Amino acid sequence: MAARKKKHSFYDFSLVSIIVFMLCFGLVMLYSTTSYEAQLQGVSPTRFLRSHIFGVILGLMGMFFISLIDYHRWQKWTFLAYLGSMVLILLVLTPLGRSAKGATRWIYIGSLSFQPAEFAKIATILLMAYLIQRNTKHMKNIPTMLRILVFIVPIAVLIKVVTNNLSSAIIVAGIAVIMIFVATPRYDIFVIAAVLGSAAIALFLYKLDWFMELSDSFRLGRVSAWLDPESDPTDKGFQILQGLYAIGSGGLFGKGLGNSVQKLSFLPESQNDMIFAVICEELGLFGACSVILMFLFMLWRFMVIANNAPDLYGSMLVIGVMAHIAIQVILNIAVVTNTIPNTGITLPFISYGGTSALFVTTEMGLVLNVSRQIKIEY
Amino acid sequence: MQRTKTNNRKKTILFLFVVFAVFMVLAGRLVYLIGFRGDYYSEKAEELHERERSIKAARGEIYDAKGVLIATNRTVCTISVIHSQITDPERVIRVLSEELGMTEEAVRKKVEKVSSRERVKSNVDKEIGDRIREYDLAGVKVDEDFKRYYPFDSLASKVLGFTGSDNQGIIGLEVIYEEYLKGTDGQILTVTDARGVELINTAEKRIDPIAGNSLHISLDVNIQKYAEQAAAKVLEQKQAKAVSVILMNPQNGEIYAMVNLPEFNLNEPYTLNIETEGTLSSEEKQNLLNQMWRNRAINDTYEPGSTFKIITMSAALEEGVVSPEDTFSCPGFKIVEDRKIRCHKVAGHGAENFVQGAMNSCNPVFIEVGLRLGIEKYYEYFNQFGLLSKTGIDLPGEAGTIMHKVDNMGLVELATVSFGQSFQISPIQLLTTVSSLVNGGRRITPHFGVDVRNSEGEITEVFTYETKENILSEKTSETVRYILEKVVSEGSGKNAYLPGFRIGGKTATSEKLPRSLKKYISSFIGIAPMDNPQIIGIVIIDEPVGIYYGGTIAAPVMKEIFENVLPYLGIEQIYDEGEQEYEVETVMMPVLEGMTVKDAKALIQENSFELRLLGEGDWVVEQFPLAGSEVSANSTVILYLEEGEE
Repeated sequence: MAARKKKHSFYDFSLVSIIVFMLCFGLVMLYSTTSYEAQLQGVSPTRFLRSHIFGVILGLMGMFFISLIDYHRWQKWTFLAYLGSMVLILLVLTPLGRSAKGATRWIYIGSLSFQPAEFAKIATILLMAYLIQRNTKHMKNIPTMLRILVFIVPIAVLIKVVTNNLSSAIIVAGIAVIMIFVATPRYDIFVIAAVLGSAAIALFLYKLDWFMELSDSFRLGRVSAWLDPESDPTDKGFQILQGLYAIGSGGLFGKGLGNSVQKLSFLPESQNDMIFAVICEELGLFGACSVILMFLFMLWRFMVIANNAPDLYGSMLVIGVMAHIAIQVILNIAVVTNTIPNTGITLPFISYGGTSALFVTTEMGLVLNVSRQIKIEY
Repeated sequence: MQRTKTNNRKKTILFLFVVFAVFMVLAGRLVYLIGFRGDYYSEKAEELHERERSIKAARGEIYDAKGVLIATNRTVCTISVIHSQITDPERVIRVLSEELGMTEEAVRKKVEKVSSRERVKSNVDKEIGDRIREYDLAGVKVDEDFKRYYPFDSLASKVLGFTGSDNQGIIGLEVIYEEYLKGTDGQILTVTDARGVELINTAEKRIDPIAGNSLHISLDVNIQKYAEQAAAKVLEQKQAKAVSVILMNPQNGEIYAMVNLPEFNLNEPYTLNIETEGTLSSEEKQNLLNQMWRNRAINDTYEPGSTFKIITMSAALEEGVVSPEDTFSCPGFKIVEDRKIRCHKVAGHGAENFVQGAMNSCNPVFIEVGLRLGIEKYYEYFNQFGLLSKTGIDLPGEAGTIMHKVDNMGLVELATVSFGQSFQISPIQLLTTVSSLVNGGRRITPHFGVDVRNSEGEITEVFTYETKENILSEKTSETVRYILEKVVSEGSGKNAYLPGFRIGGKTATSEKLPRSLKKYISSFIGIAPMDNPQIIGIVIIDEPVGIYYGGTIAAPVMKEIFENVLPYLGIEQIYDEGEQEYEVETVMMPVLEGMTVKDAKALIQENSFELRLLGEGDWVVEQFPLAGSEVSANSTVILYLEEGEE
């Protein structure tokens, strides 16, 4: 009885605190980044902050609510979510869809905007956890792994083709691959895939000139802007370069909170994809590394929960969330520091965007519920 | 329910480890970007954020020998507009076009141009600038600035020079001493957002401008004015094309005055000082401006004529091929090889010694002396006296000497060079060389620049100039001085004689090329006092109308200048007995023009004037000295005659 009582009282408060802390830190950075822009647009300096807070509060309530619902219940909703996510993506093509910055990624219902790709990520996690749990015994078979993976292909393709959102497609595929990697006892094909992938990238970079001649597409332009942002400082290299200016001018401890100059319309998307650059400028190397450490701490908590989950399904849900956060943080920081070519990815918990905050906190609710069911045996 | 297996846990840990490794790589990347590239990027970022406005440094002032300010700065305003800050463009356009006297279209173009800052007009009077500031128009900036200002307008215009809109010297001393005068511009750095709006609460970085150093020159405003007045008088009287006067200290090369009439207004350097017909193309106008800005005393060469006999005289005396007592005979010409070279006195001067030959400015005497020297020797002295190189004066564009090559020189060329023809030198070169010959044989560098002082008035640099000793022996120099004094006291330079002062000099009348045009340059070199020369001057009258003899029209100009300048320089009059009574007798020149020769002669009979008649006819059409001028009673009066109408 005592043990049972203990089980029910477990709630990963350190994870809750880090989530709340990150969300609050995000609000502070957002206010710092958006207030000037808001004033220039002639609206209240807290205009953007308020719309984000709305998403955050909604998300926190959702997180709390979901953390109370037994995660096993989601199993029967898996295929509905799977199909629903694809329908939502296709809805973008209807009059409900809205375009911004050359891509149609949002659907509007009344005044609420919403990115179907965000929902697709959760759907992917639910679907993968369900399928893996169903095929546990065959997880070492390559055909099984491929069969599971095939389910993800339509989502990824739809995201890429319909919403022209390569980064979300990569994240969805990445989540699926990582979940399979954890679920299968095999290493060999991942090692082979990693080696082949690295070789392909190396060959691509080595033969870059040849590829450039072959096609002068949008993304190849990004690649050359990545290799030398100063070769095209006013167009393709502009955002990267402005981000680097922000990072470089931060120094060890930064210019101080609120003192970024690059956020004053110099750095495009400073409140979104590039918010990490503003963190670097205002809080310096110290602040930036602290943020990285906080994410690392959060991922460590996920690992602890995953490894202690009552069953494989719960564990896989947490692994999925963990993969999602890890991929997104890594890609975001890598883009901002110009480690990889530019692709639009937000920094979870911190970047501006109500939908993003809402879905990320929802995922946290899932994880928290898994943690609640951990049986600690003394 | 499936349980989590050990291998799943291991894989989770492995995944976290990989994530950790990637995080470390990214953190390393951050360390690289901030630690190693940080300086570069933050510098770039600052360049991007900072709008710099330069604060013009006040250009150094120029002072004359007595400390009189002759070039300074006046505050003017630059009006500019900042597109993004303009709230009422129509009002801005209206006000600016009214106040600045610009067309609305021109202002509109500036106002509507999308740029961070657009200059509408610079060099606007401070008054107008202040008035525009009072309108308090959003987006209109009035910046104070400096503009060069010359208090004496046209005084020594071609010497001082002027500056362009960027405050950089364009001609004259302003160019040569640019480096000292220009100063270092300051900067105001303000941080702005991407729209160019200045941020409040950011520290404004200000780098104060460093004013240029002031230049002190040897030119003396009073002496310059004396010279300018005398030159202006003769320019008008003789309707000459141009008159140049240089006054210099022959001991050290300091130039006291340099007049080049017509001068131009330094505060309006782009306004022509002559009337022009019709509209000029910009090229034509530029040519005329270049002509107007030209310093003829430095930039142009001419055939020096008889003043050059001083050089021939010095060389011959130094070489010992002639002594003052040597006698010559002038039949009015001299035949050199197959050429008959005439003396200006057609009848000839008859028997005369060398000193008398100089006093008469007798060409055959100097041809003879030149021939005695020979081509080689003459050329050697020509070079030794420094005539082949430039003087090194601190003004831009000094003209070099145009001289025969020694190999191409025959006896005819030697003969003509001996009395100052068939080659060309600049006036400053002639004056510098003569200075060096009368100062005891020390070749000096003519110059204006004396020293440079900083804003506290401390001398930061004193200019030194090259001198070359012993280009002539002191003994020869003394003989030359003696002869030149004789030229003024008793010879052709008589009209420069001032009682009580020991003045020496030499006249010249050069016929311009081509000779058929019958255009002349009259000149006179004067030196005083001859026992210890303190001042040397040259007067050059270009294309005088009517009487053109140097001794007649140029020498009196020098006399008039010396009359004022010698006392000014503290050179005292010392009379000998003869001169005392001489001094008493000055008379007012009566009006002779329009009279018959007979009447004129009768009128001036009572005075001991020496009368010279030029031209043929019964009517006096021109007289010299002019009516109303005060002259000594034994002056030479020249009357220019023409056939009467009747």
